[in-house]
Amino acid sequence: MLTSKMKLRLKNYKGGVLGFVLLLFLIGITIYTVFYIPAKERSEWNNPFYWIDYPKNAAPAWVNYFLMPFNQQLPEHKVYSKEEAVISSYAETDFKVNNLTFLYEYVYGQFPSAFSIPFSLEIGEISPAVEISVKRPDGLTFDLYYNSLDPIPSVQNEVGAQLSDGDTHPYEISQRLFSSSKEVIDTLMKYTNLFNFSLSDLPSEKIIFSETNSNIPLKGTYQFVFTTYSFDNDTILKDINLIIEGKVFGLLGTDEFRRDISFGIMIGTPVALLIGVAVASSSTTIGLFYGLIAGYKGGKTGTFMVIMIDIFLSIPTMVLFIILSLNFGRSLLFLIGLFVLFGWPGVALINRTFSVQIKNYPYVEASKLMGESDFKVVLRHIIPQLIPFTLANFALSVPAAILAESALSFLGFGDPSFPTWGQMLQDAHFSSAEILGYWWWILPPGLMISMTSMAFILIGRSLEHRAKLSKKQ
Amino acid sequence: MVDNIRMQVTNSLSNSISENQRLGQLQDPQERQSIINKQISIQIKSLGLDEPWYSPKKIINSLLQIITLNLGNSRFFTTHDGSSSVNELIIEKVPNTILLFTSSSITVVAIGIVIGSYLAKMEGKFSDQLIAGLASASQSVPPWWFSMIMIVLFSFLLQIFPARSTPLISPDTPGYFIDLLYHMTLPFITMVIIGFASSVYYVKYIVLRIIDEDYIKTLGIIGLPSRKILLKHALKNAGPQLTTMLGLGLTATLGGSILIEEIFDWPGMGNLFYNAVIQNDSPLIIGLVYFFTLLYLLTRLLLDLTLSLLDPRISTGDE
Repeated sequence: MLTSKMKLRLKNYKGGVLGFVLLLFLIGITIYTVFYIPAKERSEWNNPFYWIDYPKNAAPAWVNYFLMPFNQQLPEHKVYSKEEAVISSYAETDFKVNNLTFLYEYVYGQFPSAFSIPFSLEIGEISPAVEISVKRPDGLTFDLYYNSLDPIPSVQNEVGAQLSDGDTHPYEISQRLFSSSKEVIDTLMKYTNLFNFSLSDLPSEKIIFSETNSNIPLKGTYQFVFTTYSFDNDTILKDINLIIEGKVFGLLGTDEFRRDISFGIMIGTPVALLIGVAVASSSTTIGLFYGLIAGYKGGKTGTFMVIMIDIFLSIPTMVLFIILSLNFGRSLLFLIGLFVLFGWPGVALINRTFSVQIKNYPYVEASKLMGESDFKVVLRHIIPQLIPFTLANFALSVPAAILAESALSFLGFGDPSFPTWGQMLQDAHFSSAEILGYWWWILPPGLMISMTSMAFILIGRSLEHRAKLSKKQ
Repeated sequence: MVDNIRMQVTNSLSNSISENQRLGQLQDPQERQSIINKQISIQIKSLGLDEPWYSPKKIINSLLQIITLNLGNSRFFTTHDGSSSVNELIIEKVPNTILLFTSSSITVVAIGIVIGSYLAKMEGKFSDQLIAGLASASQSVPPWWFSMIMIVLFSFLLQIFPARSTPLISPDTPGYFIDLLYHMTLPFITMVIIGFASSVYYVKYIVLRIIDEDYIKTLGIIGLPSRKILLKHALKNAGPQLTTMLGLGLTATLGGSILIEEIFDWPGMGNLFYNAVIQNDSPLIIGLVYFFTLLYLLTRLLLDLTLSLLDPRISTGDE
């Protein structure tokens, strides 16, 4: 049975409990990120090659559940590996044909956004020819690409050429065929007369997956066939993928640079918490001692110290932050130092007020009369009283630091080696995501910033409610 | 940035010197260049640019320039008339910033006073919790992120307001001001939504504390209608605190204006500042920082003066 007093207390804690739950959630993400995502992967955020197999500007996968009633599901992202292909090979008189067939079941109401086929071949002295074609559900077959591989076009081949200066052949060739490449579009123009509409200016995926009568998607099973014509026995297909870029991907979708947004959200969490906690702990500690000395000493020293606080508080901080970051670099440590520098005065002012009050309490005066040193009085009587307030101040100064960091990151002054939510939003803004309607790129980082601030504000408020000065001790 | 200043001085000097007629008569280009370089080094020395930043000469020089509002010329930006003077650039943008931020701050406070004092009288449990929750939420949501959401909502999904708030027509055409107001609507609504909850919360808190005082209770016992007490006596006594709230709100939005103006592309000082930072236009950056600080301090001064007018007890000067 809850008594009414306990009910009242519980009600006061409700906000605090909610804040605590939010904080636990964030700590959970942090622990997962720190322990399960290796540091090497975390640093790949700004590396475009790491993300090349991901779709561009894909919405979250669960969007399809809402589109299901309208039968307008967006195509999902599909990556086929070499093992999923059907292999068939046969030998002609003077060459060998090797076919790899990928079966792609296409059931969506919209065109996929692109496809790409990365492949790498090990070739001997005679270079083979490569052909890629697609067999559609209505029986038509389109050739997409035909090329006899040139042994020395790219960097890898040059390295291979150096190695093969002796008699050690195999070269290795790695290429990637994009649906947007000129060869594919040019080859598709051969089929203009099969369609009842103009193909000019259409991207290749809208031709391949289209019905012939009008430009709407043709559902069914597509066969992507990758054929190598080799003239010796040294040609080996090392690796091949078929990547059909979807319009939905993963839990939170991807951005303009093909990066998985949920990954960014996860690796942003420890950084945000680190900045918040580091700034808040430093500035509350400095503020506590500064305010304590200013209040306890009083007199001219105290007045001077209060004037210092006033000077700090009368500076338009955002403008100054920008100017300082512009001049003194973009490291995480510098940002933390900057926020501490302008974070402590507010805390100091509160602590000064309290210590002036406590100084005049009878038991403090009594212990002073008993001859205790100032140091001991402060340590034994004043600091213990201020601890609950300091905890509340700590929690309340975390959001300020997190919001300031995200704002500076948004303006482009974040530390580029630590991806943060603010930087994600900066990328979104620079790619005009809000005008193009990529809401999945804008919502999650901002929600995380708000949630983190909210957690600390709620905890801080409920701590503040509990804290009270006592006149007796 | 110091190097930028030096570079700029060098550029402008070499331009003005090479336009000199007498120099054109010199045939030998090397001799000519050496004269130009000599002139530049004399100028740099006289301005103290070769000295370190703490040299008193340099500091006094730049201070004098700033005090006399001689802020130089921007490197990349021009006003609508084509002038690149930093002063004129800032003067062109200041009214827009003041228009947006003052009007939204005043609206926020007005909404706060109306709803806050109403709620103080009502003391509904649900509305109390709602307002407290909204106030906490609006403090934890970054305003610039909320602006992006508003653009997605109103410009992309509903297509009511333009996403870019700079009017497309030139300032000389007659309908410009109305067009500007139309473009201002979305940033205005955004800022009001962000601000109103904490405003209501604080007004309610202030009014509740004043209603509890003895002299207000006495008025109730005398038999004055509660509405009259609230409007005539309680709000009048809450005046200084409400003014403080308005002033603090104004100064707080000044810094945030950089981000919000940049997101909405509102043609104000914040947007100009952001673009100057991106382009590294040092004279403009220095000039804008100076103006921002000036505006900030002016607002605080105005706030203090208004407070002493509203509450004579403040102006005595004794603690």
